[in-house]
Amino acid sequence: MRLKKEDLNKILALLAKNRELFVPGQVRGIKQFKLWDGETPELDGENTVLPPKDILFPKTEKMYAYKTGTETEISEIVDAPERVIFGIRACDMHSIECMDSVFIREGYEDSFYARRRAKSLIVAVACPGAGVNCFCESMGLDPDAAPGADIFLSGGGEFYGVTANTEKGETELKKWTQYLTDGDVPKGEAHCSLAPAMSPELSEKLTGLFDDDEFWQEVTEPCLQCGTCSFVCPTCYCFDINQSSVGDEGVAFRCWDSCMFSDYNQNAGGHNTRPTKKQRLRNRYLHKLAYFNERHGMELCVGCGRCINKCPAHLDIAEFIDKAAEVCHD
Amino acid sequence: MSDIQSALHKRARALLENGDVEYVIGWENARGENKTRPAFIRRAEDAERLVWNRWCVNSTAKYLLHDRWPKGKIAICARGCDTRAINRMLSDGQVKRENIYILGIPCAGVENQICRRCAHRNPLVYDELLGEPAEEKTDFDRFEKVKEMQAMTLEQRRQMWEDEFTKCIRCYACRNVCPACNCRECYADQYRTGWQGKQFNAVENRVYGLTRAYHVGDRCIECGECERVCPMDLPIMLQTGRMLMECNELFGQYECGLSDDETPALGTYNLNDADSFG
Ligand code: SF4
Ligand code: SF4
Ligand code: SF4
Ligand code: SF4
Ligand code: SF4
Repeated sequence: MRLKKEDLNKILALLAKNRELFVPGQVRGIKQFKLWDGETPELDGENTVLPPKDILFPKTEKMYAYKTGTETEISEIVDAPERVIFGIRACDMHSIECMDSVFIREGYEDSFYARRRAKSLIVAVACPGAGVNCFCESMGLDPDAAPGADIFLSGGGEFYGVTANTEKGETELKKWTQYLTDGDVPKGEAHCSLAPAMSPELSEKLTGLFDDDEFWQEVTEPCLQCGTCSFVCPTCYCFDINQSSVGDEGVAFRCWDSCMFSDYNQNAGGHNTRPTKKQRLRNRYLHKLAYFNERHGMELCVGCGRCINKCPAHLDIAEFIDKAAEVCHD
Repeated sequence: MSDIQSALHKRARALLENGDVEYVIGWENARGENKTRPAFIRRAEDAERLVWNRWCVNSTAKYLLHDRWPKGKIAICARGCDTRAINRMLSDGQVKRENIYILGIPCAGVENQICRRCAHRNPLVYDELLGEPAEEKTDFDRFEKVKEMQAMTLEQRRQMWEDEFTKCIRCYACRNVCPACNCRECYADQYRTGWQGKQFNAVENRVYGLTRAYHVGDRCIECGECERVCPMDLPIMLQTGRMLMECNELFGQYECGLSDDETPALGTYNLNDADSFG
């Protein structure tokens, strides 16, 4: 099945019916996912500066409200609207699969994430063009495939190939029939700009570098320990739980956190388990490329290149992979 | 520029060979074209990794705070702005002069917008100067952008900052790169006191932006690093710039990081100060 690109806005109108539809576009000069305003979404060009993860895992999520006094009252806050995420690319679709593994599949099911996820329909689109720091192919992905998406719009040219990968996707496609025709669509031509030497073997070997102090000092020395890399990363999923009270009322919320921050690693009594940038950035790299794999069977980096684009110290995870590969294979 | 780079190689190598310094902070090439990153050279044979070219945009000085009690001296490549940053930290009692060996680098400007408004292209303090002094420029208005902002109506400004603070992701990159943000523990990290709420929203982001602006507004050396690093492109220097402009109006010619024992305007009590407000 295929869909004429011209008909895209009609499909978007269908998708927006009774649902919040998110598409890539500019908000205050920053490309990110935003509510569809009837305009043609910005599917071309580089990927969004901010990842779509905020839609499923908000940077601040209110969990429950409380009232203290002679009796404590607690009321749950449930905020999970029907949503469609349209126009995400292979890398970002895979990042959602990483989050699914964390929040739904492996062990505890996180109700906040699970509820939002269940109410979201995801329509992914073939990557129209890689950015200068993209390397998703090295992370085992294909820019023209998104097997995890409910619906995938593939290929290049004036048509999209249309496939449903899930039941939810199939049900949705039934509403599109008047716009769908038979026919083939050529494979998309986008390819990554970078090709770091990532491999499952390297992932296994990386933890062996843990105690190589000199290696980590060299790799991490420019780091400023900000939260930029974590906050622009589609897969970083750490959060902190806190509350905000006024008088005897308040809300408990959870909000994004980063292992690069000092208080992330602070324990009761004041001991900091990762006092320096060496330990913190080592944790970031190893979590992305080794630890996550041990538990979830995939890397926690999808090769989107966002952290490379934005790191103020010009650190580069693709360069790190090559450097580590050199050391590991010596 | 290449003259400076070869002088730098020679001097870095000698300093390390003689054991005069423990390491040299400068820049080296990063992957890809047109990109360098801060370098920390510990072995004489690595001296040639150092580069000096127009892609050397990162400030070097802040890294002195990553090693407050160094084992030996630290040699540091410092352009005009980096020496102002060093002066800032010396004035604030955060680093010791005897721990640093300054390799001064005259700079005609690098690939950074801020360099167009730079009045100190030559290092203000150094142990040795690499190369000939650069030509200083005065053909710009230091507060041009602040004045443009001041020309907006109150409502326009309110809306603009509302939008900007909505954009901020509170990554704290602006704080972590800033040489005037040299507190051992930032108020924002005093999470048990809770000055800074943890929610990510325009209100908390504004608390952060304005608090930082007030904390550094009379000590800002105008290096532009905060704006360079901001992943969300906030015009952060309009805040400190506004503070500095005000200091200039109230207390006369005021510029920071020009010497190593400055007292910040708002940290000084003087009976003769203007009290036009109130
Ligand atoms: S790697 Fe870069 S973006 Fe990440 S914490 Fe360090 S300086 Fe910030
Ligand atoms: S670590 Fe960097 S390249 Fe990998 S997914 Fe995160 S932002 Fe993208
Ligand atoms: S660098 Fe920019 S986005 Fe990050 S905290 Fe500062 S103003 Fe906010
Ligand atoms: S310009 Fe920004 S980074 Fe530089 S001293 Fe001023 S506030 Fe700090
Ligand atoms: S924001 Fe204020 S408390 Fe925090 S480092 Fe900067 S000057 Fe210090």
